[in-house]
This record gives sequence, C-alpha cells and structure tokens, in this order.
Amino acid sequence: MTTDSVSAGDDPRRLLSDMRILAGRVRRDQRLTWVALLVLAAATFLAIPFDWLFMTVRCEADGCMFARRGLLYYWPPALLLGYAAIAVSYVRAARAQGLGARVLPYAITGAVTAGVLTTAYVAAALYLPSHPPFGGGPSPFWWIVLDRLIAPWGLIGLALLVLARLERNVPLLLFTLGYLALVLLVLPTTEGAVPPDWALLSFMSAADTQLRLSMTTPQLITGTVLLAGGIGFSVARRRRR
Amino acid sequence: MTAATDTPDPSDHPATGLDEVVHQRVRLGILAIAHEARRVEFGYLRIQLDLTAGNLSKHLSVLETAGLIDIEKGYEGKRGRTWITLTPAGNTALAEEIRRLKVLIARVETTTEDKCP
Repeated sequence: MTTDSVSAGDDPRRLLSDMRILAGRVRRDQRLTWVALLVLAAATFLAIPFDWLFMTVRCEADGCMFARRGLLYYWPPALLLGYAAIAVSYVRAARAQGLGARVLPYAITGAVTAGVLTTAYVAAALYLPSHPPFGGGPSPFWWIVLDRLIAPWGLIGLALLVLARLERNVPLLLFTLGYLALVLLVLPTTEGAVPPDWALLSFMSAADTQLRLSMTTPQLITGTVLLAGGIGFSVARRRRR
Repeated sequence: MTAATDTPDPSDHPATGLDEVVHQRVRLGILAIAHEARRVEFGYLRIQLDLTAGNLSKHLSVLETAGLIDIEKGYEGKRGRTWITLTPAGNTALAEEIRRLKVLIARVETTTEDKCP
C-alpha cells in the first residue's frame, strides 16, 4: 500500500485485490483455531471418566443393556463452557493484536449444540425404550450415522464446520471433513469398539467393564485426533510468524 | 432533427460516481480492515498499511470528518490506544465503492473484448 491517491489510470482489479489481501490478513490474525481444537480435545478426554462412572450396565444371559447417563450430565454444560472459553480466548487474542473479534457465532454454536444434544438424548430416553426403532432389529447404516451425528463427537464436527465457514478457513474445513468422516463412518462412537484380547488385563474381563472399555476407545481416538489437530494448527501458526 | 448517436453519456460511467474520500488506496485499505475486524487499533493499521503515524492520522481524520469511521481513544494500563470502528455510513460507502470497482472492471473487460478481432 502507498499513500498516493488513486489516479484515473489505476487498475480497479489491483484495488480490489489489495482489499481482499488485507481482509484475508485480518481474518488470519483473528483465528485461534488451535485453541478451539485443544479446548474440544480437553472436553473429550474429560468426558471419559464421566461416561465410565455414570454408565449403567445390566448384563443377562442374552447380552448386556447399557445407558450412558454421563453423556447427558457432562456434555451440555461442557459444550457451553467450552465454546464460552473459545470465545473469550478469541476476544483476548484479537484484542492483544489490535483487532476486534466476532464471538457471537461461537456462543450461538455452543448453545445450539448443547440444546440439540440435550433434546435428542432426552427424547431418545423417553421414546425409544417403548418404541424400539426398526422393531428392535438391526439398524440401517443411515440411522447409525444419524445417531453418531447427534452424539457429542458428531456435533463437535458440525460446530467445527460452522467455524471453518465463518472464518473462511480452508485448512480447518479439510481437517473437519476428515474428522467427520472418522466419527461418522469409521469410529463406532455410539456402539463401542471392543478392544483386542491382548489389550485386556485380567481385571477387565467382566462383561460390564469390557462394555465400558469399548465405549472409551472411540473417545480416546476422537480426543487424540482433536489434540493432534490443535497441535498441528499451533505449529503452523508459529511457523507462519 | 437530431441524429442518433452511440456515444455513452459520460455521467453513466461508473468512475463518475466514485467517492473521492473513499476512492483512495490507503483509505480503502483502512475501511476494508475496519470492516473485516469490526474494530481495529491504530498500531495494527499502521503496520498493515506500512504508513507513518502522521500519515495514517491524516487519512483517519479525513474519514472521520466524512462520518465514515468513529475514533475512540482510551488507555490500557498506562498505554494509550486508539480504536477505529466503521460507521453504518462507512459500511455503505465501502460496499458502494466495491460495487463501482466491479462495474468498472466489467466495463473494461467488455471494452477489451469488443476491440479484440
């Protein structure tokens, strides 16, 4: 940029391009993607003991029934607090750089995800026991994907998509698409993944313990992916500076 | 009797309506940054636009006089800080300038295509 006035011969393309570059720099300086991912990773790891402690398991001869009450107790406040923490971090970091920040979208995202999660879980707890879906038979894949989508880990992915759109953040968009593919299509976040025998110690042999462990593994993987993403974005930001 | 002519009316040209206050490289930069950031500090503008404090102050003064920005001075601890916010008129002026620049580009491209064999 120079201080010269725009002359009649100045290229309007150049002016528009300069404006886009400046706006892009502001958006990049306002971003704190790594903090958002680290907060969500921390929330995911903290959820594991809640899930373990508040899960009720009833095993009979033909199998085990379980209810994950911990998800309902933990995740709605955790999402609200998490997004509030992200919003505060964005404001502080932007202010330190001499910029304002758009934080309302983060607060709205936190409130909406917490609301959707609570509504879905309460509705499922009230309705599904008396009306088992698909006559109690095997669920189709779309139902499983939907179930995973309204679980906390799916909602985190949706919230990250909103964040990527608001920030026009292509790297975050790519990360989020990968993350969503993992939690929706690969990881059995809501059904559990039984660990291999070699990973099980003798005190883990009880059926209810194995069920709890099967729910823990996907959460550990999800938290690790978010943590790795947070570290990756933090390293990229430092390198850019 | 008047003869029909293809010569366009000069008042229709998009460059004619350009606002002299806004249509200036640095001032456009200030408006673009303030629009994106919602609120921007003097120091950030100075670094991004690569200006001296005095030069930036002059441009800010022009924009403030035109009612396109608000300037708020305050302190953080012992350090003085000056924050710049776009006014609704500033937002409108920026949007209008961008629109006119796009029209100019479209007009230039059309003229170039017409001249090409």
